[in-house]
This record gives sequence, C-alpha cells and structure tokens, in this order.
Amino acid sequence: MDKIAELTEQIVKRFKDSGFDVDPKEVSKRLNLLIHEFKVPESEAVRTVTNYLMKELEISREQLVAESPLVKVSDITSPGRWVSLKAKVVQLWDATSPNVSQVGLIGDETGIIKFVIWTKAGKGEVEEGKSYLFRNVVTDSFAGRMQVNINRSSQIVEIDEDIQLPPRELEVVGALVAIQQNSGLIRRCKLCNRTMTKEVCPVHGKTEGYDDLRIKGVIDDGENFYEVILNEDNIRELTGIGLKEARKMAEERLDRNAVLTELKNSLLGRYFRVVGTRGERYLIVREVEFLKQDIRELAGELL
Amino acid sequence: MNRIGRREVARRIFAYEFNRSTHKIESKEEKSPIYVLTPTGMRCNRVFVVGVLLDKEETRPDTNFWRIRVSDPTGVFIGYVGRFQPDALETLLEVEPPELIAVVAKVRHFEGETRSFASLRPESIAVVDSDVRDYWVYETAKLTLNRIKAMEKKSSEDAILAWQIYNPDLEEYRSIVKQALTTILEPVVKVREGREAEEIEEGEEPEELEELEEEIFEFEEEEWDLSDILGE
Ligand SMILES: [Zn+2]
Repeated sequence: MDKIAELTEQIVKRFKDSGFDVDPKEVSKRLNLLIHEFKVPESEAVRTVTNYLMKELEISREQLVAESPLVKVSDITSPGRWVSLKAKVVQLWDATSPNVSQVGLIGDETGIIKFVIWTKAGKGEVEEGKSYLFRNVVTDSFAGRMQVNINRSSQIVEIDEDIQLPPRELEVVGALVAIQQNSGLIRRCKLCNRTMTKEVCPVHGKTEGYDDLRIKGVIDDGENFYEVILNEDNIRELTGIGLKEARKMAEERLDRNAVLTELKNSLLGRYFRVVGTRGERYLIVREVEFLKQDIRELAGELL
Repeated sequence: MNRIGRREVARRIFAYEFNRSTHKIESKEEKSPIYVLTPTGMRCNRVFVVGVLLDKEETRPDTNFWRIRVSDPTGVFIGYVGRFQPDALETLLEVEPPELIAVVAKVRHFEGETRSFASLRPESIAVVDSDVRDYWVYETAKLTLNRIKAMEKKSSEDAILAWQIYNPDLEEYRSIVKQALTTILEPVVKVREGREAEEIEEGEEPEELEELEEEIFEFEEEEWDLSDILGE
C-alpha cells in the first residue's frame, strides 16, 4: 500500500470509529496535494486534513478523541482499535529494525503490553520507569499477542502520575551469566536494612550493621536478560550455604569474599528455572531451581 | 536509540557459525557497542558458550595472556584471556584441560591482512557438567533454527543484511544444527568429555594468527577502561 492510501485509510477509519463517514477520495486528494505538491511533512498533512474534516463536519476534537477511548491495558483484546491509555514504561528492548524507533513493554495496574514506536511516527523517546499518556494508538496483534503501535497520528505526553504496575509473575529459564558486586556475604544497616559499604550506610552513615546473604545476578536466555535478586533462602536451597555456613566460611578463610567466590564457582554458567515478580528493575525471585529437563525429548522435538 | 548503557544479551551461537562471522557492525554513535553480524542474521556483542576447553596456552612466556580453544559439537572457538579479565583468568588458571566450561564472553573482531576473524574475550569462566552442555546445545540449536526461519522470511533488517553479505546456504546451517543435536542424543560413553571433541576436525585457523595475537595483546593493554573496573 502506498503512503497516501495508508494515511487515507487511517484517517477514514478514525472518523468512522467516531461515528462519522468521510469520503476517502476527498481525503486522499487533499493528502496528495499537501504531501506531494506542497511537500508538507506527513504528520502535518494528516493533522491538517483531520482539522479540515472536523470543521466540515462541525465536530470538536473531543468528539473525535472521545471515540478513541481511554482504556486500561486489560481492555485491549482485539486488533485495529484506536485507543488512548495511561501507562508506565516497564522495559525497553533493543530495536532490531531501523523502522522501529523504540520497542518494549508498557503497563498499568491491569496488565502489561508490548508497544512499538515506528520511526516514521517521528515521536520523542520514552524512558523506562516514566509514565505517559499514549493518545490515539492502534491496537494490533502479533504472533498471537496484543500490542499497541504508536504512529504518526498518535501523541505521547509525559504525565506526573506514577502509574502502578500489576504484580506480575513470570517464569524464566536461562543461564546465570553474571553475579554482580555487592553479592555474597554483605552487611546491612540495622536502622534501615540498606546495604552498607565498609560499615557505612548510604543514609545513616557509620552505624551498626548485621550480616546478610544475597546474590544480585543476571539470568539470560539468549534473547532477553533478567536481573534477579536471590535471598538467603534461595541461596541455601541451591548451594547448601546459608548465612551460618557463609559466616563460618568467611571466618575460616579470613576473607568475606571467599563466600562470593564459592557462590560464583557453584552457580555461574548454570541454567536455572526462576519464578518471580517483576519489580522496577529486578525480578523478585519466589522460586529458583537448577534446570532439570529431559534433553532427549527436547532435542528429539527439534530433529 | 536507547541502547547505550543497556546490558547486551548473551547470544547463543555454534562455533561453526561464529567462525564464519566476519562482518562488523559499528554505529557512528559514540560509545555504542560493536557487533558482529552472523551468517544467520544475528548481531552479537556478547555470547554464552558451553564447550570443552581443549587447551590453554600462554601466547608469549610470562605475559599471563592466554589463548584458549573451546570446542562445541560443530567446531572450535578461540578466545583470549588476560589480566584485564581477572574473574575469567582466576578460573582459567585452575582448570586443567580437557574440561567442560561455560564461558560468558564479549565478542572481539579483528581485521587481518587477508581475512577478518572473531574471537572470544571471556568475562567469566565456570567449570560445568554435561547436563549444562546438553541444554546449551539444545538451546543454541533452537535459537539457530529460529534465525534460519527468519532468514527464509527475510523478516528483519539484519536478516536482509546477512543475505547481502554472506548469501548463506541455509541447508548447511540446518545440517550443522542437526549434527549438534545428534551428538547429545547419542548414548554417553563414559570417558572424559574431551575425547569426542578432540576427534572433531579442527576449524581452519587464520593463517596470520600470530600477527593477530600481537595486535590483540596490544589492544587489550590499551583497553584498561572503566567498564573493566566496574565489572559493568
Ligand atoms: Zn541505614
């Protein structure tokens, strides 16, 4: 479909969804004139033609937008609808095509959905953790899942609200490819439980601390990665090393880092099945276990 | 694009394909990562590999700069470990080949006189068992088959680019995947894992390997940057 036809369809559909019939020939003629003869940018041409039609039909922008209703993520169940939604950017992925400006996940308290901002939409960039009003976006389905597309007629407006995300449980199977600093036998502040560096709490300064055991790591399945936090229980279940054992190890070797080295040796490069909820940055682990799979059956399916 | 500062996914790729990945993708944007494009249209900056450490050899005496060769069922990865990868080095010094290892590595790409060459720059090395190796082979097979399908459909820009640059014979890559899967389905003969890998014909090594190593060594010396200190 050529550009004009595509834009025409978009405009006609938007009016139709709002209960107004417009003549595609008229729309297409005006777009053609603006874009090809006057070299007006596409987004401007769409806006101009839309404004013209609104005047002709004597309708207000509200009437038009009102039909592009404010919905929640869980309301999005069928493709090809114009909707608006308030949502927070949960995660940005790598855009693997130059046609895509940004791709990732957005969500509100009812759910999480994939979004795509097309490069030719010419929109500003969104940031992880910020909330926006996505106005006039189009629902779509890809590989059996719903998503929203941000195109030329859409608007993205940053909002001051902090949109809440649903507690979202997900299961990940992947390899532990990194264990980050501040893992192993760590100290926490007695007043606020924050991690201390050299007996100093970032909030309370030099104060009393207590021992804890945790791992901040990265689980990677070859297509995505997930930052995970494993607590003492998780670590003990996997390695047999709990806080007591860790303390003993540190005392015997006169080195608190010995615990981290030991954990790296027994966990790095292994595959895990992790079930947890997605926090702002980390996957909060509920269950973790070494992956056990019938490899013969799996491999057989591929052959 | 919001790629800067984001962690790179560790891609899965068989040695056979890795050693045929000669095309470098470099963005003009400052500090953006460098990728190697593979013949099945995947760009990778980091990889996760499980295979047999066949040998480790100090490239020059007393430099503590080691060349390692890691074999999967399809071929041999070459990697270099030096003092700027302290975690990987620590484990490497303790491992006696042949031994099964899991390697998380950055991909290095060097242009030689007659050909270019991709190698591994390990961030971490861990000794693992054959269950991990088997799952890696399965996972890598699955993801490679997905890429082959994407190549057939020409469904991404990278797939189209890979067609232009490599014009790959997809059947060749399919049969490599099949071969790899078959090796994990074969009954396990309880000798050391290293044996079977040794029998595999070695991948052709770049002729000018030595000159390249000189270059890599020097490059590594210069690469002492913040990302190493911060462990990213
Ligand atoms: Zn505190």
